[in-house]
Order: sequence, then structure tokens, then C-alpha cells
Amino acid sequence: MDIRFNAAQRALRDELRGYFAGLMTPALRAECERDMGEGGGPLWREALRRMGEDGWIGLGWPESLGGRGLSPLEQFIFVEEVMRAGYPFPFLTTESVGPMLAEHGNPWLQETLVPRILRGELVIAIGYSEPEAGTDLAALRTRAERDGDGWVINGQKMWTSLAHFSDYIWLAARTDADAGRKHKGISLFLVPTSDPGFSCRPVHTLGGVRTNATFYDNVRVSDAHRVGELNGGWKLITGQLNRERLSLINFGPVSELFNAVHHWAAETDAASGGRVIEQAWVQQHLARCRTLIECMKLMVYKQSWAMSTGQLGMAEASAIKVFGSEAFIEIFRLLGEVVGPAALQRAGSPGANAVGGRLERLYRTASIITFGGGANEIQRDIIAAAGLWMPRSGR
Amino acid sequence: MDFAFSDTQAAIRELAGRICEEGVEATGLARYDEFRDLRFDAGLWQTLCDAGLPGVAVPEVLGGSGQGLVELCLLLEAVGHSLAPVPALAHTVTGLLPLQRYATPALQAAILPAACRGERLLTGAFWQAADAPPTTLQAELQDGEIRLSGSYPALPWAAQADHLLLPVRLQGELAVVLLDRDSPGLTLTPLQLTHFEPQAALALEGVALPLERVVCREEAHALWDWVRLRLRAGLCVQQLGAAERVLRMSAGYTSERHQFGVPVATFQAVGHRLADAFIDVECLRLTSWQAISRLAAGENAELETRMAAVVAADTGHRLSYAAQHVHGGTGIDRDYPLWRYCQWLRYQEMVLGGAGQQLEIIGRGLARGEGLFT
Repeated sequence: MDIRFNAAQRALRDELRGYFAGLMTPALRAECERDMGEGGGPLWREALRRMGEDGWIGLGWPESLGGRGLSPLEQFIFVEEVMRAGYPFPFLTTESVGPMLAEHGNPWLQETLVPRILRGELVIAIGYSEPEAGTDLAALRTRAERDGDGWVINGQKMWTSLAHFSDYIWLAARTDADAGRKHKGISLFLVPTSDPGFSCRPVHTLGGVRTNATFYDNVRVSDAHRVGELNGGWKLITGQLNRERLSLINFGPVSELFNAVHHWAAETDAASGGRVIEQAWVQQHLARCRTLIECMKLMVYKQSWAMSTGQLGMAEASAIKVFGSEAFIEIFRLLGEVVGPAALQRAGSPGANAVGGRLERLYRTASIITFGGGANEIQRDIIAAAGLWMPRSGR
Repeated sequence: MDFAFSDTQAAIRELAGRICEEGVEATGLARYDEFRDLRFDAGLWQTLCDAGLPGVAVPEVLGGSGQGLVELCLLLEAVGHSLAPVPALAHTVTGLLPLQRYATPALQAAILPAACRGERLLTGAFWQAADAPPTTLQAELQDGEIRLSGSYPALPWAAQADHLLLPVRLQGELAVVLLDRDSPGLTLTPLQLTHFEPQAALALEGVALPLERVVCREEAHALWDWVRLRLRAGLCVQQLGAAERVLRMSAGYTSERHQFGVPVATFQAVGHRLADAFIDVECLRLTSWQAISRLAAGENAELETRMAAVVAADTGHRLSYAAQHVHGGTGIDRDYPLWRYCQWLRYQEMVLGGAGQQLEIIGRGLARGEGLFT
């Protein structure tokens, strides 16, 4: 039991911080802000490839797959730092789909796509939800049917974030309509977005983030594009979601935001006299946020550590997702109160300040992950069942 | 970074857990309710001492097992989990630890081996929720010895301990002295606390103390801070043990209890409340062990112990009421074990200073520029 970074981990963090200070040029930062913190632009692509070339994306991957053979904890330190630097890192590709492909993909997928992920050349979007299948994901209707050696896919997906600049969709489709239970007849495919049957329409959200509705009209893929066992896709979905839940709660950006608000409060005069940070309620708010972020950090580190021993627990992954997503909302609220009216001004508004503009936007985006990545109600069900061994009702 | 216990630690954890659970099971806790019997199982305490557990962090030359704070905290976690009626926290964190760190070799040799064997019981006045050394204990130099006077409001195990470690004002400056409990002029008034632990108020009137019983003067403030950090961490891990037990008790009960023909655990409102409790307990586990890790490595943990204390206070309060609620009337039925845990969760929440005070202190540190993310 020793919950401290060792010297090598501290050195890695410092090295990464220096690396990203150089990588995040003003031009790249401006492009990322224009793209609402999602990426996809030419400079963003170039930076992702450079991270791949410099061996960072595969830091915690086995050397046999083209990685550097460090542990998932070092991998997490990398992701924490890249996000802290403000780079919209495609963590769903690298941290959730990538490892699933490495573990369950056929040799072709492992030999062609996995190395390209680690080189920063590929972005993959997730195609699960449908207009009529959200929280009840197994109700999905998109179907894949055998056609000679390959498959023909038809259907529609919702909330396919990043699809407009992704190379592939990690797509869940029904391959056995007659399976006894609805989650039994699902398979996973990697669908190239270059297929003429694929199309994509934007959906604009409260926080300014674009997501997509995606359409699959007689999309044709070879059987090599199928992942894992036929009709065994549910296991891949839950495995990917487990990793996604861990990745969603990255405290790099929020700890950096905390420091920025602290700096602002220490430098800014309060209307009542003195500096903002000298007010008792401001100190209480900051202390509360500091403690929430610490808990988030420790939960994530523990799971990253557990992954290195192959013990990513379902209950723990869900606990991080529930705690983190709800803590983000509370933190953005409290930090917004500290900053005051400036946290209502859009970035770019005359007189807006940087930290206020960020909080204005973050407060609008914060609800996404309480339901995205599996609604928190489902996560609490998982915690009760897998963490507390409580019986659950049938649904 | 390692979140697992080593083989030695796992063995100590298993041993401490087994002795505490078996000891509590053998005599039960009901006999101590409403102060019927003094809440002290001397036989169980001796078994723990014979197993080397209270002295686990004391160097071998002084009669201990030569392990560290992590290992000691495994005992405290087991005491919290079982509510074993033993003076583990007072004897170790407010007695053995400061003596082994700050006392003269002569005093250490006189006290520590016997204290590790269970022949002497120690306690110390380090419990102020207000988080500053007491100003109510005065000491004067008189004819080559010390005269103590004043009072201390509530000292755990004071009436049972052989020696009391007291922070006093010696000629106006903070000093720490070791007083024998049977000293003439020392009056102990037993108190009745919410959780039935033996505690007493101290009144001292011209109590004589030889000079060699001054544990330290120059380093008295350092000793105070050093003990307070470890006491905070020890209370948090004891809270963790109790909280873990309450969480599992609640999950178990709701899984067995049927209403409307189904286990009440199958209602989402019940499952979700306990899922939130699961998250609270996980946060308490991680913040507590982080603080302990840092202290065990000799690092400062001012911020880390206070954050753990905030989580311990919030978790104790929320878990106590969630557990009582999902148990229905059974939770408050004195024939069912939950209610005693609720009293301990409350005591530990309050003696840690409460979440509000800890947040205030963290916030003041932040205003000074301490505790930012690196």
C-alpha cells in the first residue's frame, strides 16, 4: 500500500508537461477552440500523428503491439497530461476501442488497424445508440445480413460523436433477429466511413458540441471487419463501455481549471474589498472542489492500477463514472459562483475573461456524461449488483 | 503507486480482523450498552497485545514489531469494523507513537516495552476538534519539580490508562508531559458519551511531576502537529472500517428482506441509495490510505489528512442515515447491531472536527497558495 507516484512516474509527468507545452501552439489551440474542443482539424490531425510518431499514444501498450510496454497507470498519466494541455484527445479510440481490438480483433485488424491507432492515424466513433435504443441498448435494430463473403448493413445510429471526421465506426448491429434474448444476437463491426452507403448529419447540442445522426444504407463490409465472435457482441460492448467510463472521468482538465480559478480569485479584487479569495465562502467552495477532484483522481488512479493486474472491476468503473460526472457538475457550479457574473459571459464577449468564458461553456456541457456512456441510473444498478451483490429486478 | 497490501500487511490485516471479530463475537457488545459494563474487554486487549498488534509500529528494541503506520492502521480499521471494545487508537496514536518518536531513551525504555506487552495503558490529550493545543492545562516549575493544574474536557480512556500524555503550558510555553494516572491531585470524572467509550474529564490541582517526565519542550509544537496528523488519519481509517461494515450490513439486509413478494434490494430507490454509499466508502478508503501512505513515508499530509477527514465526516453522516433508512425499524432495534455503528460513525465524524471546520482550514491554506494541483 503506497498511494504515491514513484520518481519515474513524477519524471514522466514532468516530461509530458514540457512536451505538450511545445506541442500546443497558439494556432493549434485556436483551431481546437473553433472546433468546440472536439478536434478534427488539420493541425489537430498533424499533432495526433506527431504524438504517435513520438511513441506517446502506445506508452502503456505491450511492445508486441507496437507500444512501449509501460503499465496502464503510465498510460493514464499520458492521457491526463494531454487533456490537461487542452488537446481534444480521441481517447475513445485509443483507450477503449483500441484495447478491445487488440484483445478481440482478428489478425487482420490487429496487424493493420491497431498499429495505425498507435501511430495517431485513425479515429473511430462509437455507433451504439439508435432513435429507439438508448439506455436499453440491446433493443437496437440496425442489422447486418450475410451477403456472400461479407455483410450488408442497414440502419440508423444516434449521438455518433466525432463521426464527421472519423475513419471508422465501431458499430453494434443485429446479426440474429431470432436470438432468444435480445442481447444475444448482436455483433460488432468496424465500418469505414468512406463507404458510399454511409452518411452523417449533424446534431447540435446545448454545449455547442456537435454530434451526429449516422445512416447506413446497404453499407458493405468484408467479414474481416467483424470483431470478436458472431452474435457475441454484447460482451465487447460492455467491455468497451467499462473502459469508456474510466476514460470519461479525466481530471487533468478540471485540476488545471481549478488552478486557473484559484489564480483568478487570488488576483482579482472583490466588490466588497480585498481579493476574491479572501472571502470565507470562496475558500469553502475552493476547498470543497479541491476535495472532490482529489477523490476523482484517486478513484481513477486506482482503476488504472487495477487494469495493470487485469482487474478492472465493473462496480468500480461505474462508481467513477457516477461520482465523476456528478462531481463535474458540482465543481462547475461552485467555481462559477466564485468567478461570478463573468462566468455568464461567452468567451469572445466584450470584457469576457478567459476563466469565466470556460466556465460559461463547461456549465452547458456538463450534463452529457451523466447520461452518456450509460445513464447513471444503470451505473448505480451495476454498483448495487456487482459491488454490493444485491439482487436486481428483471427489466 | 500500489493500492494493494503486501503479503505481510495482508497477514496483519487478517490477524487483526480475526482477533477483533472473534473477541466481539465471544462476549457481544450488548453488555456495554447504556454504560452497564465499562466498555473495555481486557481479555481481548491482552490477546491483541500478545499478537504484537498495538506495538506493531514500535521498533523491536523497544518491544514492538518494527513495522510502520500502514500496519498499525490495519489494526485500527479492524477495530472500526468490529467495534472491538479496546483502547487501540488512544493507546497507539496518542501514546506509543509520540513516545517512540519524541521521548528520551530512558523514558522510552521505562514505558514502551511494558506498553507493548499490554501491562501499561497509555492515552493522550490530543483530541480537540478545535485543532489547537489546549490552553487549559498549566505547568509551573517549583522546587525542582513541576506542578500541574487546570482541566481537560474529555479524554478517552483517562480513568483506565496508567499514563496520560498531556500538552501543557509550561511557564507559558507549550510542553508535553507524561503523568501517572494515580498522581495525587488528579481528579477524573467519568463522562457518558454517545458511543459508550470510556472517557473522563480531567481536573488537576497542584499535581506534582518530576522533571524527567517532561517528554519535550522545544519540539512540543512539532509533536502536537505530528500526533494530530496521525490521529486524523487513524480516525479516518477507523471510520472506514465501521463504514465498510455498515455498507455490507445494509446490502445484506435489503437482499434478504422481502416486501411485495420481492427483496427490497431490487427496488432501484434502495439499490441506488446504497450505490451512492458504496461510492462514499470508496472515496473514504482512497483518501484515508493516501494520507496514511504519505505519513508512513515521512511526507507531509496536512492537506491529505484534512481532505480524508472531510470525506470521513460526510460519509459517516450520510451512510448512517441511509443504512438506518433502508433497514426500516430493524435499523434502530437494539437487538440488531446497526445502531451501535451509527453512534460510532457520529462520534468519529465529530471528533475529526466536522466537514465544515476542515473545509475552512483547507480553504485558508488555498488562500495562502497551498494545496494547488501540481
